[in-house]
Amino acid sequence: MEPLLEARGLVKRYDGRAVVDGLDLRVEAGRVLGLLGPNGAGKTTTLRMLYGFARPDAGAIRVTGRDFRAERTPLKRLIGVCTQDDTLDYDFTVRQNLTVYASYFRPKVEGLGARVDGLLAQFGLARWADASPHALSGGYKRRLLIARSIVHRPKVLFLDEPTTGLDPAARVEVWELVAALREEGMGVVLTTHYMDEAERLSDELLVLREGRAVARGTTDAVLGDLLGEHVLVVRRGDPAREAVAAALAERGVTTSSVLGDLQAPVTAAQLAELDAALPDARLQVRPPNLDDLFLQLAEGSDA
Amino acid sequence: MSALLALFDWRAFAVFRRNALVYLRNWRTAFLPPAMEPVVYFVALGLGLRGFVGGVDVGGGQVVDYATYVAPGLIAYTAFTTPFYEALYSAYVRMFYQKTWDGILATQVELPHLVWGEVLWAAARGFMNASVVAVVLAIFAAFGTVDVHLAWLPALPLLGLWAGLCFGAFALIFTALVPAIDHMNYPVFLIGVPLSLASNTYFPVSSDVAALQVLIELNPVYQLAESCRGLLVRGAPDAHLWKLFATSGGLLVLLTPLAVALTRRRVLS
Repeated sequence: MEPLLEARGLVKRYDGRAVVDGLDLRVEAGRVLGLLGPNGAGKTTTLRMLYGFARPDAGAIRVTGRDFRAERTPLKRLIGVCTQDDTLDYDFTVRQNLTVYASYFRPKVEGLGARVDGLLAQFGLARWADASPHALSGGYKRRLLIARSIVHRPKVLFLDEPTTGLDPAARVEVWELVAALREEGMGVVLTTHYMDEAERLSDELLVLREGRAVARGTTDAVLGDLLGEHVLVVRRGDPAREAVAAALAERGVTTSSVLGDLQAPVTAAQLAELDAALPDARLQVRPPNLDDLFLQLAEGSDA
Repeated sequence: MSALLALFDWRAFAVFRRNALVYLRNWRTAFLPPAMEPVVYFVALGLGLRGFVGGVDVGGGQVVDYATYVAPGLIAYTAFTTPFYEALYSAYVRMFYQKTWDGILATQVELPHLVWGEVLWAAARGFMNASVVAVVLAIFAAFGTVDVHLAWLPALPLLGLWAGLCFGAFALIFTALVPAIDHMNYPVFLIGVPLSLASNTYFPVSSDVAALQVLIELNPVYQLAESCRGLLVRGAPDAHLWKLFATSGGLLVLLTPLAVALTRRRVLS
């Protein structure tokens, strides 16, 4: 299947330092690609290159198979951007935010009135259509931002941390809207700091560290590639904690500390070795999740 | 060149339209107070001081009373200050506080279109306010308070529109440069006020120092004020009109690409 969005060998340097270094990615219709990584991994820079805010120093971006650099204006008609910042136009009503935003695209949006009415209904904004966005809660402002970013019926949507700052109920509502857009066949590129969000929404993950892709694939595949089969947990106050930490360090295993609990991704063989070496230690084991991955990457970045 | 050609693109007019729609929503507060400022100046200075100042030589042996001298200058003053402040303060608010530009740039609109849209809008604001001043002057002329050639009056806001493009582009350079809105005092008091005072609006300006006289001649506000005065008081276009086209046009061609480059660094870096 022809990808809606494809990037090859993307490079971006600032002050001689590569913040994105040879990145490849692709997004197909009806699929969500989650970009993950700790702060400074290059997620935002990647996104800014993909939607045209920053020019890559090397590499190519193709939208529906066409070169983004050569056909920038017509291809920008095919993408929608929902930035992390609130860029709503508070000089206008909720409805006008959609109609005025549509005026920044050519060819003009067909059936704009019906399109706007449809979005207001779909995103639960109809009752505030003629009110200022100031009247909206944080969750509804985010809905309006997403609705605005797709008013021109793009094929690819960029969502930069779409639920940051929202309460749990509002987050779930945004998730449902994103899932509905995916069902409509839109390709979505998502960045988020919420691992549960990435896991629930993404069909595929692309994990970045220091500008490079360190893993890609489904959640299970990424976790398997980067963390292995198990996560070992030794509780704070456990008398064997320091001994376990030393044993892990000897084996080159990266550990992290969460509220004093020692955590480390380990293989079954490493687990068996530890159990044999420290028979009195109470070792707890659980499956890895994306939070573990995030901590692992953050530890690696700090090093 | 592409930065200049963006003026003729639909996207520049989409940005212009956006600002115009906001203005129409708020026209009661956005229109009358700023437009009345030069009228107040005219009444306070032109009418208030004319008894003290007496006649002013406007060239060619023609001497007019102070109110008549100030009248065309105030149209020029309005056509300068309105776009200058619009592109300083209002554009800064749209860029920095409201993040309106970030939203627009996520569409097919590119930065040169955005800058031109702002420049066009700033000039249009100047045109509207200068038109109000022109109407007020026509009323005073009808009562004999000022002695002007009314047939030329409709042309003056149009001259202001032309020069306003250059003033808007000039102000956008500072909008892109100042780190915070408090720092707008620098371009206002170090650039805007001197340019408007050295413009023959309130008093004749000239210098025996050749370099200073060249600077005065290069000031498009001066050329605008003298062009307006030539038409309104002397009743005929003169060399200042061509100098106005040359200085404003030249500065516009130079300043707009610079404003685009600086705004790009500010907004997209």
